[in-house]
Order: sequence, then C-alpha cells, then structure tokens
Amino acid sequence: MADEEDETGFEEELDDGTGGMDAGHGKRKRLFSKELRCMMYGFGDDQNPYTESVDILEDLVIDFITEMTHKAMSIGRQGRVQVEDIVFLIRKDPRKFARVKDLLTMNEELKRARKAFDEANYGS
Amino acid sequence: MADPARIKTEDKSLRKASEDHPKSDESEDAKAKSSHESKESSSQDPSKQEVKPETAAGEDEEEGTSGESDAKRLKVEPEKKKEKRLKVDEDEIQKMQVLVSSFSEEQLNRYEMYRRSAFPKAAIKRLIQSITGSSVSQNVVIAMSGISKVFAGEIVEEALDVCEKWGETPPLQPKHMREAVRRLKSRDQIPNTKFKNIVFH
Repeated sequence: MADEEDETGFEEELDDGTGGMDAGHGKRKRLFSKELRCMMYGFGDDQNPYTESVDILEDLVIDFITEMTHKAMSIGRQGRVQVEDIVFLIRKDPRKFARVKDLLTMNEELKRARKAFDEANYGS
Repeated sequence: MADPARIKTEDKSLRKASEDHPKSDESEDAKAKSSHESKESSSQDPSKQEVKPETAAGEDEEEGTSGESDAKRLKVEPEKKKEKRLKVDEDEIQKMQVLVSSFSEEQLNRYEMYRRSAFPKAAIKRLIQSITGSSVSQNVVIAMSGISKVFAGEIVEEALDVCEKWGETPPLQPKHMREAVRRLKSRDQIPNTKFKNIVFH
C-alpha cells in the first residue's frame, strides 16, 4: 500500500512536468480527476484507482466528447450542437439512448415541479 | 433521481424502435456480467446478477410478440406495453428497494458513489463551447455529461472483465484500460473519425 502511494505520487509529478506517457494530450490540465476517481470506484474499481488509469480514462472521455461534438456540428443545423443531434447520434446504442431520454424527461419533470412550486408560493 | 430500474424498462420499450444490433449487445452485456467475479467486486456481483436476469426475462417476452402483423401490432402494443411497463416499473422499484436494503456497508458506499458521481457541468460546458465556438443550451450539457458517464462505465466494466480474465486483481492498470479500449473499438462502441477504414488493402 505504501509502495503504491509512493508510485502514484512520483507519477503525478511527472505528469505535471512533462505530460507523462500521453505526449499528445500532455500539457492540458486534468479536468476531471476527482470526479473520475469516484466514478471508477462506483463502477467497480478499487477505492483508490491508479492515477495513470484515471488519466487514460479522462483522455478517453474528452476524446469521446470531442468526437460527439464534431459529429453533432456536422448534422442537423451546421455549426451548432443541439440535443436532437446528440439523440440522433446515440440512437444505435441502447444504454446511452435510454439514459439520455431518462435524463431529459427527468429534467422536464423537475422544471415543471419547480415552476408549480414557485407559483404556489407566489399565490400564497 | 433517475432510477436504474426505470432505465431498464425504457430499454425494453425502446428496443422495439431500434434494430437487432442493440438487442445482441444487451444479451452480451448480461452474459459478461453474470460471469464476472473479481475480488473487489464480488460483493457487488450479486446485485448486478440479480438486476440483469430481469432484462433477460423481459427480452424473451418481447420476442414472443414479434410474430404478429405490423398493423395489429401498432394498435395493441401501446396499451399492452404501457400496462406492462407500469407493472414492471413497480416490481422493479420494489426489487431495487429490497436489494439496496440488503447491501453491506462497502456495497452501500460503492452504490452511493455510482449514483452520485457526475461530471461537473461547468467544465463540460466549457469544453463543448471551446470546440463549437458558440454557446450551447443547458440540455446539451446535461445530455453530454450523462452519455459520458455511461461511456466511462462501459470502459471500466470492460477493463474489469479484462483484468479478471488475465487473473489479476482490481486496481485497474493502464494495460487493462488499453485492452478494454481495443475490444470496444472492435465492437464499434468508441467513435473514431480520425482514421479512415481501408477496405481493400
């Protein structure tokens, strides 16, 4: 355990300095380190995932978002990213499709509930 | 918040709209999960196994109705589906409650992290806007962070599969992640528009 902690500490310094193994994405600051660690634990990894694995996953996620954004910009209304485009791109993947539908439905419900709550308060 | 139980039923009803391809993906997922048995996640496995057989049973139901004609199917199905969906919804919610109430402390921790972890909306919005150059609506950010979380989950699950297959233990190492990405790429689950396919070499 102590060894592992030393190792990740050492690697982190390397990352900050030179960008580590992924020279392509090297200098960019880590955007999602904390959140990704919690996420990896939730999905089944160890409570303390390796920093290198978290880095790889972050690069993959940023690549994914970039690809999706570029694709969404090229379909539907050019140069803009709209929800319908994302839903269209995701249509073949059942998990992601269901998740997006769920999230958007839930968001609508919450907005409606908040609005109703505010109106009730305003009335009384 | 979004109930994993409800997502599974949406999956079933949406499968009618999509083709065979997603169906086979779901059954692959179910098989992979039921055979998955690593040390750290062994506590979590029973939960995943219990949830997956439900979708498998649901798949059998759906396949039975595919024999009817299209016109009849369109009329009868929405009502049947709605009733089925409501009943299955309540069943699933109850089952989830029973399941979560029987979790050990470590499982509860993990489940809490699974439900609560999310990408920061501000960072995602900044990222998308830096790519498009124009502003994006809030719904886009919500959709994109949701999909990204599912994406991260798919990679971690595949990597855990690889880790177990190679007879190693959990803290996932970069080699597991890379092998997982290679497998997902061959299944076309990772979008890639940078390198063209060479059909005839």
